[in-house]
Amino acid sequence: MQNYLNNITKKFEKAFFISSTKCEQSVFTATITLPVFSFSGIIPRGLFSFSGTDNGQSGPDPRFKMILWSIIAGTRGGINRAKILNLLKNSPMNANKIATVMNLDYKTILHHVKILSKNELITKAEKDYGAEYQLTQIMKENQTILEEIMQKIGTK
Amino acid sequence: MIDFMLAAVVSAFLNIVLLLVVITTYVQNMRVIRSYYTSGLVLVAALLMLQNIVIVLFWSTLYMDDKALMMSADMVAHYLFIINVIQTIGLSILVWITRR
Repeated sequence: MQNYLNNITKKFEKAFFISSTKCEQSVFTATITLPVFSFSGIIPRGLFSFSGTDNGQSGPDPRFKMILWSIIAGTRGGINRAKILNLLKNSPMNANKIATVMNLDYKTILHHVKILSKNELITKAEKDYGAEYQLTQIMKENQTILEEIMQKIGTK
Repeated sequence: MIDFMLAAVVSAFLNIVLLLVVITTYVQNMRVIRSYYTSGLVLVAALLMLQNIVIVLFWSTLYMDDKALMMSADMVAHYLFIINVIQTIGLSILVWITRR
C-alpha cells in the first residue's frame, strides 16, 4: 500500500512538472498544449482483479482481463467465443476449419469471428477469402487470463 | 396532457422485460462459468429489476389507494418518467451488446 501511494505521488509530481514546462513553452511559441490525461493512470492496478492471489501487482493487465471477462461471460455465446480463442491459441485456423472442429454452423462461427475481430482479440493473416485467423499481440500477451477462464469452463 | 405517472410505469415494465432478457443470458453463462464476475452480473441485474418492481408496486398500491398521495405524486411524476426513460435507453444498449 505504501509503495502504491509513493507511486501515485510520483505520478502527480511528474504530471505537474510536465504541465508547468508545457505552459512555459506555450508562452514562447503561443500554442496551447494540455498535459496528456489518461483514465488508465488514475485507475489503480488490481481494482479489477478477480483472482485475489496476485493483487494485480504483477502478471496480466487487469484492464484487459475486464474486457475478456465481459466478452466471454457477459454476452450470449460467449463460451463458444472462449473456445474459439482457445483453438486459435495453438494454431491459426480459417473459419471453415473452426466450424468443423467445434461442430458448429459456419455462419455462427463467422459471426463470432466478426465480434472477436471487432474487439481486437483476433486478426486475419491476409485479406483473402478463407484466410486464417490468429490471436492479436495483446491477446497473446494475456493468454494466462484465457487459461484461467478456460479452467473454470472445464470444471463444469 | 400526458399522464407522466402512467408513462413512467410503462417504462418500468419495459425495463423489467429488458432486464429479464439480460438476466437469462447471464444465468446461462453462469451455469457454465461459476465465478465472481458472472454471479456479480446476475446480482446487479437482479437488483435493478427489484428497483423497477418496487416502482410498479408503488403505482399499483400506494398511488392508486391514496388520493392525496396521487395529487402530490403527479407533481413530481415527470422526474420519475425521465429517470425511467434514461434507464430504458441504457438497458436497450446493454441488451443489444449482450445479445449480439
